[in-house]
Amino acid sequence: MTTTIPATTTAAAVPVGAGLSMFDPVFIGIDEFGQPVYLDVVYHNLLAAGEPGGGKSGLVNNICGHGVLCDNTRLVLFDAKLVELGPWRDLADAFVGPDIDYGIDTLRRLLVVATNRYTWLLANRRRKLGPDDGMTVILTVIDELAMYSTVLGSKAQQEEFSTLLRGLVSLGRACGMPVVAATQRPSWDIIPASLRDLFGYRAAFRCTSLNSSNIILGQGWAEQGYTASDIAPTNQGAAYLLAEGGMPRRIKAAYLTDTDIYNIADYAAWTRTPTRTTGLPDMGLAA
Amino acid sequence: MSKSSPRRRFGGKSTGTVTVIEARVHRSSARNAKVAFVLTAIIVGGLAAVVATSYLHPIVALLLGGLIGVTTGAFVWLLVRVWPVIRLLWWWSTEILLAVVLLTGWVQLANHTSTLVTLVVVAVLVGVPAGIPKLRRLVIAWSWCLIVRHRLRVCFAQFIIASQSGSLPLILWATPTPVGERVWVYLRPGLSAKDLEGRLDKIAVTCHASTVLIERASEGNAAYVRFDIKRREVLNARVNSPLVDVIDPSAPASASPLTVPTALDLPDVEVPTVTLPTQAKPAGKKSAPTTTANGSKPAASSADADDDVSDWI
Ligand SMILES: Nc1ncnc2c1ncn2[C@@H]1O[C@H](COP(=O)(O)OP(=O)(O)OP(=O)(O)O)[C@@H](O)[C@H]1O
Ligand SMILES: [Mg+2]
Repeated sequence: MTTTIPATTTAAAVPVGAGLSMFDPVFIGIDEFGQPVYLDVVYHNLLAAGEPGGGKSGLVNNICGHGVLCDNTRLVLFDAKLVELGPWRDLADAFVGPDIDYGIDTLRRLLVVATNRYTWLLANRRRKLGPDDGMTVILTVIDELAMYSTVLGSKAQQEEFSTLLRGLVSLGRACGMPVVAATQRPSWDIIPASLRDLFGYRAAFRCTSLNSSNIILGQGWAEQGYTASDIAPTNQGAAYLLAEGGMPRRIKAAYLTDTDIYNIADYAAWTRTPTRTTGLPDMGLAA
Repeated sequence: MSKSSPRRRFGGKSTGTVTVIEARVHRSSARNAKVAFVLTAIIVGGLAAVVATSYLHPIVALLLGGLIGVTTGAFVWLLVRVWPVIRLLWWWSTEILLAVVLLTGWVQLANHTSTLVTLVVVAVLVGVPAGIPKLRRLVIAWSWCLIVRHRLRVCFAQFIIASQSGSLPLILWATPTPVGERVWVYLRPGLSAKDLEGRLDKIAVTCHASTVLIERASEGNAAYVRFDIKRREVLNARVNSPLVDVIDPSAPASASPLTVPTALDLPDVEVPTVTLPTQAKPAGKKSAPTTTANGSKPAASSADADDDVSDWI
């Protein structure tokens, strides 16, 4: 059975883009003093973790919402749960559902782009992509990372997925290809520690134990009083954010309701120039 | 640790009671004034005499130098003696200024207008800020800023005395934040942000606040710190995203067609589709479409999924 939402008649207004850029700081919420918190997502990878229902997908959706309203930005979405990032599926260049083969192919594709970009940077005597290079930012967002690294597919596929992702996370930062990932618990049996440690920004949503919080933020923070286990279970969206400044900060992520998300997605679809590539081209890259 | 250091310091000379400390401070102020007088008189007098010798006879120059030295010395002596009063005036300067302005305003108003007009003006001046919530909160927030500077000074004077001379940190300005106040302080020798970290709970009590945080306010100067006084919690509120404001909600809806599976209940799914235990678990936990979309995937070892779940139990 196929359902199509009928497109309503075109509105009276003229589509005007929101004029944001991925190089702008991305608003993600407020800190404990009520000050807005912005993240420089382009040059950092972000890992959000915490117990189920903590608000990880809420945070990730903020970044996606910013991404789709940006000029010159492509999204690659991985969501085994479909509904969290599904609203953005038409705006993304690739949307990977619970299909690890497609996920692995997509990661390979991204790695080829990253390598090519570094060659381009080398040819241009540069080391880092800037906003004036006219190159698109390719934002990779993965919700429920553990689904790809422990649940879907065979052991070999899961390992390959993790290895490829590690490559993308370590390469992507300086060439405008940041990775934002969310998972419930980033312990070694779910994500290899070598992959976890590559994420520069960490957001720890509520955890049940000091140990879990330390796994997310890094060893030793719980002992200094920065532990996500003291967040009230009812206070969804509150987290400890380890970003600039070197100290974990208590933040509350902004929350987009379903209506907000679909409004943003519709608006973005209306204003974006259709430069999106669809489907998976044959990369000719056999494993 | 917080209490022992002042006690140890004063214990040798006195019984450690408050009055004795004050007498000591008083004595030291008199002695300081004397020392300041002598030093200023000698230095300024000597310099003045040296300069004057090139214009006058040496003896006249010496006398003139002595006169200038004694005058400046007396001025400095006075300054040192009344310094506690000046400091007090400085601490209460905002309040004194406010009181003066209000009283002058009131007297002028009462003198130049009839009683009825005076009362009406006062009623408007008091009633409007009290009636408009936004204005009222602003006034209350700034009043807390005034109060909190005094409370912080009490903290420093009562239980964070650090230097031998008992000089207090400079309490600079304070501004309201959505959760309370933020106060900038310039520490004097003998204190550090780390020292204060251990006493934040006591500072919170003194400031009638819920918690107090301390942070360095300058990368280059460790003496310059910032106190964040928290009275309210903002992290419980829902935060709206500014993205909602940049979009036009009347944009036409668009969505690609989706293939929606019809097997949305357990009896609708045939047994063979879920032969593999690891797939059944996440599929059941997530949504039904996962099962059909992922029906042909090989299984992960079941131990993995079990670990994943048991981590949270
Ligand atoms: N920033 C927020 N402010 C207020 N409520 C929030 C916020 N974030 C999440 N919530 C509430 O918490 C619920 C769960 O949030 P979310 O789906 O983001 O959790 P999650 O961490 O992704 O969980 P899971 O691990 O199951 O995917 C949301 O439905 C929403 O009601
Ligand atoms: Mg989620």
